[in-house]
Parts: sequence; structure tokens; C-alpha cells
Amino acid sequence: MTQESIRRSNASYSNMYGRVNQNMTHERMKVYFCTDLDKSVLVNNFEKRGWSQVSADDDWNFYWAGVQTCRNIFSVDSGYRMNDNQMINHFPNHYELSRKDLLVKNIKRYRKDLERDGNPLAEKTDVNWSGGGCSTRYLYLDFIPVTFVLPADYNMFVEEYRKNPQSTWIMKPCGKSQGAGIFLINKLSKLKKWSREAKGAFHPQIAKESYVISRYIDNPLLIGGKKFDLRLYVLVTSFRPLKAYLFKQGFCRFCTVKYDTSMTELDNMYVHLTNVSVQKHGGEYNSLHGGKWSVQNLALYLEGTRGKEVTDRLFGAISWLIVHSLRAVAPVMASDRHCFECYGYDIIIDNNLKPWLVEVNASPSLTSTTVTDRILKYKLIDNILSVVLPPDGVPDVRWNKIPSADALGNFELLIDEELAAQEEAQNSQQNKNSKSMGGNRWK
Amino acid sequence: MEELQDASIHHTAAKLINTIKTLKNYEPLYENVQKLVCSPSVDRNDMCNTLEEAIKNAGLETEIRNIIFHLVRSKLKPEEKPSQININDPLAYLKRAGVQWDRRVRKSLNAMCSELKMASQGQPRISTDRDELLSKWDELSNYTIDLANYRPVYAPKDILDVLLSLKGPTKAAENTEFVQVPKWEFSHISLPVKNLFELRNHYSDLLRTESYAGSSDMNLQCQRVLESKHAPLCQHLLRKGNTPAPYRGALWSFVLGSHVNSFDIEHWNRLKANVLATDHIVDKLVFKDIQLTASNDDQYFVFEDVLYQVLLCFSRDTEIAQMIQFEHYPIKGKSYEAPPSGVVPFHGICMFAATFCYLFDSPINLYFTFRAFYIRYCHRLTTINTHPQGIVSICLLFEKLLQTHEPQLWSHFRELQIQPIRVVFKWLMRAFSGHLPPDQLLVLWDLILGFDSLEILSIFAIIILSFRKESLMQVNSLDSIEAILADLSSVQVLPLVQLALSRD
Repeated sequence: MTQESIRRSNASYSNMYGRVNQNMTHERMKVYFCTDLDKSVLVNNFEKRGWSQVSADDDWNFYWAGVQTCRNIFSVDSGYRMNDNQMINHFPNHYELSRKDLLVKNIKRYRKDLERDGNPLAEKTDVNWSGGGCSTRYLYLDFIPVTFVLPADYNMFVEEYRKNPQSTWIMKPCGKSQGAGIFLINKLSKLKKWSREAKGAFHPQIAKESYVISRYIDNPLLIGGKKFDLRLYVLVTSFRPLKAYLFKQGFCRFCTVKYDTSMTELDNMYVHLTNVSVQKHGGEYNSLHGGKWSVQNLALYLEGTRGKEVTDRLFGAISWLIVHSLRAVAPVMASDRHCFECYGYDIIIDNNLKPWLVEVNASPSLTSTTVTDRILKYKLIDNILSVVLPPDGVPDVRWNKIPSADALGNFELLIDEELAAQEEAQNSQQNKNSKSMGGNRWK
Repeated sequence: MEELQDASIHHTAAKLINTIKTLKNYEPLYENVQKLVCSPSVDRNDMCNTLEEAIKNAGLETEIRNIIFHLVRSKLKPEEKPSQININDPLAYLKRAGVQWDRRVRKSLNAMCSELKMASQGQPRISTDRDELLSKWDELSNYTIDLANYRPVYAPKDILDVLLSLKGPTKAAENTEFVQVPKWEFSHISLPVKNLFELRNHYSDLLRTESYAGSSDMNLQCQRVLESKHAPLCQHLLRKGNTPAPYRGALWSFVLGSHVNSFDIEHWNRLKANVLATDHIVDKLVFKDIQLTASNDDQYFVFEDVLYQVLLCFSRDTEIAQMIQFEHYPIKGKSYEAPPSGVVPFHGICMFAATFCYLFDSPINLYFTFRAFYIRYCHRLTTINTHPQGIVSICLLFEKLLQTHEPQLWSHFRELQIQPIRVVFKWLMRAFSGHLPPDQLLVLWDLILGFDSLEILSIFAIIILSFRKESLMQVNSLDSIEAILADLSSVQVLPLVQLALSRD
């Protein structure tokens, strides 16, 4: 396995230095790729398809870019215009989904819009706290923990906080990832203290940064006594119409330290954060499994110990959550036909088997921590390529982006609004006289 | 003849009644019958009939039937008297080897004790240690002890080496001339094993096409059978090999008679108390084993803490020593003490228990089903014995099937002077635990329980070799062969076993 990969990456270097034929007589056939990330899971997959590597300044067909490169390419200043045979792995404003504050803003707006339209999805209900307070929640769209953006929504946060002063809240800087800068708060005074310090001269950088504060899920589902979160991969090939696919081989990321809510543990972030990048620094990180457990095993365990119905309901709720989070951002996304994006969804399951969306990552890590992880990520990239590319394997924006069942690999269709509309049209033609029953399962 | 049969039935019945009276569940059962006797539905003038009817209606009949089912399966074997060993018994040497092996393992455990200055029967745990163990009982992975000086007492390889060196009474002289040819065949061992035809008969249910019931149909069947509470029906259902995950735990508990009663909870608490009170060398070995296996396994690491509890309690359970049927053979020399359970932990023992983590949330439920499975099946695989489903028979069956149905592979191994059993032994001894992904392992164990036989292990091992035959034929070293067989993640149990049984 490792020897093979070394040989392959050597081959990729020789290609890089061997320079690619610039005349391009077979331009339509040969695919040239460019990548900002020198990851073997990427390069091996591209080379397996007979593609050749070029630099960003050359003519490329397929660019696996970092978010910054992508922003530059799409910026008005660059003057770069993509042709029909070019594809890139990000949408220009993916941050509408991946930035913690914008995600919350978009979901809140989505729910309000539905509510205004009198959509039954936006039905609300009251939640009574043990302390006597009462909050209003959406019945079907309550899939992110109550969240406020600080400092902007500070007063709203305090109002919500007072309804249930026993609860713990988690603070996250909007712009950072991989668990950086996160801390927990269980007293309002602690937040005030933080805010005073942040405004001080010693932390000018924090002062500028905005934070989100979310109700902390204090009743997570524990397996073997340990807390975990889910990392699922979602591929979006278009936002309007929405086309999204879920990779079946997600995994659970486990904390290496036992879960304990006592106050002494509140500052031990290893207990609360399941990010591998955080866990790796913990004393008990195991490099053989990396704290990762497959979603298939989770399903097997839940079916065996809790039953099929609740397990199916959980996985159904997860698909529901993903689809509605995507719908929430669809109107504001620049749905450029050259783009696709693979998102890393981080989800926490509570002990009522209800999933909560924690955050969405637009550049999920392609670094492999274990052998299993490596196989999984290789497969992920392979499947992404076969879904986003037309059957002849050459990027082409004129393709209808409807992959065949075979091309899906380990992806399953979450939603394809275009297909759904076609089916609905067919149905209504067939039953012209009978009333059409509400076709799409997500409506 | 008829009389004789009649007498034997009476004899069996008498024996059953006597045994039932010694069971833990006898008392609650008897109390329930007493309550029924007092109920208005029982007529004093027609006691026999009305009581029988009442017992049926109250569901006690099923309970009694299940008790008898479990007794007949396990406890009513003719007891062997150690004093009367038949000198002409062709398997005497095998029994002797088994007893010697057991002694060797115990001796080695005792040697470890004296080397590390620990009492072989444990010592009272010092109070600080006890408090720590108690406070970390639910998170024993955080209970840190220095295990550098401890190593597993034995691994599959050790028991295999002993098996390969077994010499039958006649074979001993013959082999001296051919020093070059490794002594690696089991064929000289006169244990009866089935041929493919007989196996096909035994597993005929697997070959019926009607067994491909739709999954919704299967769910319904499971619900009905579980409502009936009949252990034999549960067992029969497992034979289909497509048991839906949600029903598996309940079905297995019925087949193994391992439902948890209040006296079982008390028993578990006593075991736990014993672990807390006594510091025993097996504790270290349990920790060592889990850390060497389950803790590093990406399928099972999440269950680490449950496994510590289960295996620590297992080591203190003297009922295990009583329920396991040890073979006897008088040998000279000192005898050594074993842990309270009679089982010396070996490398990989926790993987047997790990499988059950996918079925039960609570350690208590997990414990009793695992324990029953261990006593009935795992024990036969991890000791040297003459049982028709013991590890020796399973190896012999594997060897005969390979020789008959894969002659090409057989001679390939022969030319390379590699014993084929070496490649599959750890699969067989561990019943594939830790080798197959959990969802498939559970299917394989469904079949073990459904057909009440470990022979499926040999059949399955053979078909894996057959499936990878082409690759195997191209390599010439043990390492390469093992590399080809290392990854079983894509193997599907049911279709492969069906294929193995239906081929010519």
C-alpha cells in the first residue's frame, strides 16, 4: 500500500517536471488538471484517469483549488473567464454555508421566509425549560442549536440565556476551523469577563473577530461511554436547481477522554471537541484507528441495540437536515455551472437520537490518519469525479449533470430538483384528470 | 428393545428432574406453579389436568420446555469418571495432550505470578486501588496500570504448534524416515469428521431457495417467534442467515438461555465486588489483552470500557468452571491453580466478547449471552479436546475438505512445505472474531447458533481460500499468502457458505 503510493507520487513528480505538451492537438480528449493541494488521494485519482498535471497558469480543465485561489479566479479583477471544458471544486461564495455566522443567518432567513409564506414546514411549538422559562422552536426545522452572533446579537442572547440559566453555551470564532479558539460558558459573568479582556489592548485581533454562541448539546448520545460527532460528506453539483448527494461512508469521530459534565472538566476541551486535529494532541490518541468509527458500524449498533425504526428515523432526519441547510443557502449561492463542491458536514446526535448540525466545512481534510481513512478518502475523490464529470470523462458545463446510477458509486442521491420536477411533470401528464399527489419527498 | 428405550426415557426424565431442581431458576419457577395451584382455575378434583392447563395458559410450559432444551443440549452428557480411563481408547493421547496443555498454561501463569511476586490466587486489593477502580468502573480505559511486564499467556500460534506436534500412537515410528516432509497433517487423528455430503445434509436449510424470504417477511417472522418465546424456534430462525439486526440479540438470548433474571444481576454484582476486593494477575492480563486487540481495532475501540468490565467479571466467575466440561486424563506431576473461572486468558479472548457489543447496550445483558456462547463454543476452540466440534476436529475437517475439494491448492501448499492450517488457524480459533467486519461476523455466528455447530468455520475458511485461489497459486511464501488473506472486509458470509456447500 505505502510502497505503491510512493511509486505513484514519484510518477506524478516526473510528470510535473516532464512538462506537458503545449500544442494540445487533442485538446478535447486529453484532460489537464491542476491542484493546490499536493495530496496523493487527489493526484493518484487524477492520474488513474490518464489526466496530466499542469500549473495554474497553463490551460487546465479541472482545478482542485484552495478556497482563496477559487475566490481569485472568480473575482472581477482577475478577468479570468472559464470556458465550457473547465471545472473547479468550489462555489465562489461557499462561505454562505461554511461560515458559522452566515450559516445561521441563512437558516434563520429560510425559516422566516417559509413562515411568511404560510408553509406548514415552518410550524412552531413551545419548549418548557425545567427552570420555568419557555422558548419557541420550529417543529421541523429545529436542526441547529440555538445560536447568536456576537457581539451583534448580544441582547438577544442574554434574553434567551435568562430563560434557562442552567444551560451551557459554546463560543466559536466565525472564521476559524478545526476547533481553534473554542470555549464553553456556563455563567454570564464569564462571557462578560471574556468580552472585557477581548477589548483590551492585548487582544486586538480578537476584538475585530465575531463569534457565534450556541446552546451546547449537553445530552449527546454516548457510545461505550464516549462522546462523538459525525463527519458526513455531501457533494453539491448545482444549487439552482439543487442537486446534492450523500457519501455513504461517513464516520464517527470519538473523544479519547470520557465524557463528564462536572465543572472541573468544563475546561478540558478534549472531552467536548471531537475534531481529530484537537484529539491528536490528547495523550490517548490512537494512531491505528484515529478515533474514527464507520457510520455503517454506528447503524449496525443502533439497529441491534435500539431497533430499526429509531435508526431509520435518525438517518432520515440527517438527510432532512442536510437538504434544508442546502435549500437555505441556495437562493444566495452563485450557482456557477463550472462549480461543484464537497462539504464536510459535522453533526452531533443527542441521546434522543436527534441530529444537530454543528457546522459545514467547504474544504474537508483530505489528509489520511489511518489506512482505512486513506482508502475511504481515495474512494471519496474517485466517486466525486465520476459524479461531477459527464460520461465521457471530459469536463463540460453543457452536460445536464444527471449522472447514471453506476456513476454514483458510494454516493446516494439526496435531492435533484430538476429530476423531481421532470418526474412531477410526467406524473401530472399521466394523471391529467386526477389530482397530483405531492411528488417530492422533501417538500 | 422397546423396554430398554422406555427405561432410558424414564432414566433421562428422572435425571432431568433432578438437574432442574439444582438450577437457579427452579425456585422462582416452583413459586409460580405454587401460585397457580392456589388460583381458581385449578380444580382440586381434577388437579392433574387443570394444573397442566393453567401452566400452559400462564406461559410456564414454554419456560419449562426451554429449560429442558438447554439442559439436553449442555448438561446431560454422560459423566466421565477420571478413574476409569480406557487404555485402548485411540484418542487417549489426545486427551492426555489436552490435559498437559491445560497444565502447561496454568504453570506458565503461575510462573508469571512468582516472577512478578504476586499471589497466584490473588491478594486483597489495597484500599486506594480499590477506590480508584470503583470510581473508574465505567471508564476503565482511564484506569492506568503498568503492564510492561505482562504478556499474553498464549496466542493461537502456541496452541497450533502443540497441535502440529501431536503424535498418534502408530504414527510415531513412521515419520522418522522422512525428516524433510513436515509433520503437518491431522489425518492420523482418528476423530470422525463429516464429508461434504454429510455437511450438505446438516446445512440443508441453507440451500433451500425458499429461505430467501423478503426482509419485511423476516421481520414479521422474528416478531412472531420472539412472542412465542420458544428457544428451538428461535434457533431455527437463525438458520436462514438473514436475521435482521434488531432481533438478533433477543434471538441469541433465547437460543443460549441467557436472559437476565434478578439472581443474575445479583451474580454480576458479586463478581464486580470480587474484582474490587481482590487484585488478581488475570486483571492485568485482561487489560493487556484488550489494549493489544480491541483498543486498536477500528471496529471495536469504542467498546473498550464495556469490555474491561465484562472480562474482569468473567475472570471471577466460578460458575464458568462448573459449566465447562473439561476432559480428564490422569497425568503425573504437580497440578497448578487456575483463575476462578478456570479460563486462563489468552491473546484475543476479548474479541469473542467484543462481537456482543453490537447486540447489547448493557454490560450485564452482554455478559450473560457472551458467557453462554463462550462456554458452548469458544471453549472448544481454545483448548485441546476430542469434542467433535473441538479445535482439533475443526482443523481436521478443514484439512480433509481442502485435500478433497481443492487438490491444486493442497499440492501447492505441499510443494511450498507450508501447512495450510497455519494460514487459517487464527480464523478458526477465534471463530473469525476480529477478522471479519462485525455485520458479517454476526451472520456467521447466527449460523453457528442456528445449526449449533462450529463446522461452518472450516467450510467458510475453505471457500475463502477457493475464492482467492488464483492469487494464492502465484505466490511462494507464507508472508505473501498471509498478505493475500489478510483483508476480509469485502467477504460476504451467506453467499460464500451457500456456494461452498453446493459445489461438487
